[in-house]
Amino acid sequence: MKQFGLFFRKEMLEMGRSYRWLWVPLVFLMLGVMQPIVTRFMPEILKAAGNMPKGMTIMMEMPSGAEVLAQTLGQYNAIGILILVLSLMTMISGERQSGVSQMIFSKPVSFVSYAAAKWMSMISLITASFGLGYAGAWYYTVQMIGPVDTAAAVKAALFYLLWMWFAGSLTLLFSSLMNPAAGIAFVSLGAALLLSLAYGMLPRYMAWSPGALPQISAKVLLQGSGGTGTMGALLITILFMIIFFVGAVYMTQRKRARF
Amino acid sequence: MTQPLLQVKGLTKRFKDRTVVRDVAFSIAEGSCAALLGPNGAGKTTTISMLAGLLQPTSGSIQLLDQSKPVTDRRMFIGYLPQMPVFYPWMTGREFLRYAAELAGLAGRDAVLKTDEWLENVGLQHAASRRIGGYSGGMKQRLGLAQALIHRPKLLILDEPVSALDPAGRKDVLNLLQRIRLETTVLFSTHVLHDAEEICDEILMIREGEIALQGKLDQIRREYSEPVIRIEVGGDPVSLKWMASISSKAFVRQAEITGNRARLTVTDVEKASFELMADAVSHQVAFRKFESGQSTLEDLFLKVVQA
Amino acid sequence: MNTDIPWDLIAPLIVIWLILAVVGLISLSRTESTRGPKWLWVVIIVCGNILGSVLYFVVGRKDVS
Repeated sequence: MKQFGLFFRKEMLEMGRSYRWLWVPLVFLMLGVMQPIVTRFMPEILKAAGNMPKGMTIMMEMPSGAEVLAQTLGQYNAIGILILVLSLMTMISGERQSGVSQMIFSKPVSFVSYAAAKWMSMISLITASFGLGYAGAWYYTVQMIGPVDTAAAVKAALFYLLWMWFAGSLTLLFSSLMNPAAGIAFVSLGAALLLSLAYGMLPRYMAWSPGALPQISAKVLLQGSGGTGTMGALLITILFMIIFFVGAVYMTQRKRARF
Repeated sequence: MTQPLLQVKGLTKRFKDRTVVRDVAFSIAEGSCAALLGPNGAGKTTTISMLAGLLQPTSGSIQLLDQSKPVTDRRMFIGYLPQMPVFYPWMTGREFLRYAAELAGLAGRDAVLKTDEWLENVGLQHAASRRIGGYSGGMKQRLGLAQALIHRPKLLILDEPVSALDPAGRKDVLNLLQRIRLETTVLFSTHVLHDAEEICDEILMIREGEIALQGKLDQIRREYSEPVIRIEVGGDPVSLKWMASISSKAFVRQAEITGNRARLTVTDVEKASFELMADAVSHQVAFRKFESGQSTLEDLFLKVVQA
Repeated sequence: MNTDIPWDLIAPLIVIWLILAVVGLISLSRTESTRGPKWLWVVIIVCGNILGSVLYFVVGRKDVS
C-alpha cells in the first residue's frame, strides 16, 4: 500500500513534468467545444463556402442539444481515443525499454502496486480530461443550441467514461505485453475500433460487448435509456478491465527488463 | 567472516535454443569481494541479472543467507547497479535517490537523511537539484551506486561498473568501491582483469557461460604461476634466425614466438637464463630485452579465455 | 462579416490553442533532444494549430515518454 502511494506520486509527477496533465485535458476540452460551435455556425460556414446554387435557401433544421452532445461523443470516439492511446502507450513499456525498470525491479517492490499505480493514474488522467471536455461541450451546447436533460447527460457521460477507461486498460495491457510504441498504439487502437465497429454491424450478437458502450451512451442522451444490453455490457466491461489488469501485472513481472 | 552470503547452484539460462549460462555454481563469503571475470559475451550480464532477480533462471538455485538462513525475497538484501544505469531524465538526482530509498523500504524522514548522506558520499551534492537528463556518464554511475547502496544491502552487485567510463570517472568509481568493500560484500562483473585485481580478493572466471576457474586471487596467483622468460631481440637476420631456433631447447616447455619477440615457459628460470644468454652470446645475438619471472594473472586470463 | 459571432464563446478556443503552443515552445526550449531538428518543431508548433502542438507532445521529445 505504501509502495502504491510512492508509485502513484511518481506517475503524477511524470505526467506533470511531461505536460501530459496540461495538453491531454486541453485537447479534450477543445474537442468538446468544437462540435457545438461548428453545428451552430454550419449554415454560415456553408454560405461562406459559396457552393450553394444561387437562390437555394438553406433548409437546415438546428439539431437538439441532446443530439449535439451525442455527436460530441462521436468525436471522442475517433480522436479522443487516439489521443488517449498516444499519451498512455509507453507507460509500462517505456521503463522496460529505457532500462530504468532494471533498477526499480531489483528493489523489493510489489508488481501489483506498480501496475495498480499505473492504472490509477491512467484512470485519473482520463477522468479529468474527459470530464473537462464533456463539461465544456455541455456548457457550449446549452449556450448555443439548447437545453439538455441533466440526468441523461450525466448518465451518458458515465457510460462513455467507462468506455474510455476500458480503452485505457487495453492500452496498458498491450504496453505490458510488447515494446515498440507504434505497435502498442496500433494494436490498442485497432482493438478498440474493431470492438465498436463489430457492435455497429452485429448489434444483436455484440450487445454485451464493451464496444456497445459508446452507442449506449448516445442512446441514453437521445432516448433516455441505454436499451436491453446495458447491464450486460457494463458488467462485461468491468470484468475485462479486471482481466486486463491481472494480465498486465503478470506480464510486467515476467518481462521485468529487456534482454 | 567466512560465512557464505550467496550460494549459487546449477544456475542455467537458456534463451530459445541457446544456452547462455550453463550449470554455474559458486558461493560468496560474507565480507569478500568477488569479480566475475570474462570476455564480452561470456554470460556475465545474464548471470548478474539472474542474481539481481531480474531474470528467471531456466534451472538452478540462488540463495542469499541472512544469519545462515535463506531469505525469501533476496532483493531486500541486494543493491544492484546495471551496466548502463538509466534513470528518469525528468527527475533530479535528489528526487530519484529518495524515490529509490523509499522503494527499498526506508521511511520518510530516514529516506531524506540517507538521500543527503549518499549524495555527499558519491560527490553529487552540488548536482542534486539538477535534472538527471543533464548528467554525465560518470555522474550517472555514481548516482547508480548511491541508489544501490542507500538501503545498506548485504550484497552489492555491479555489472561492468567502470567499463564505459573515462579515466577520471573510472578512478572515482574505483575509489568509491575501495571504500564500500570495507563494509559490504561486493560482486562485480568486468572484462578487465586489472579492475578485478585492484579491488577484489576472489575471482570467478567465466567463459562461454561456464565457470572456467574460481578461487582466491592470491591462491590462484600462486598455483598457476609458471616460470617465464620474455626476450626481445634486434631485427637483424642473425638474431631472428636464433630466435626461431630456441623453441627446441630442452628447458623450454612452451614457446610463443612472434617476429623478434618470444615468451618462453621454462622448467627452471635460472638455468634457462644462463643457457639462453650463453647461447646468444656465442651466436652474436643482439638482445633488446631479457626478462625472467613468473607468469602473471593476465597470462592466465588470456589462456583461460582463449582455450 | 457576420456580426453575431459570439466572440466571448470562441475566445476560449483561441486561448487553449495559445496555451498549448506557448507551453510547447517552452518545453522545446528546455528539452535536451528532439526527434528531428528543433527549428522544424518550432514551425510545426506555430503553424500546425492544435495538431502541431499535440504532435510535438506525443512524438517530439526523446527524454520524456
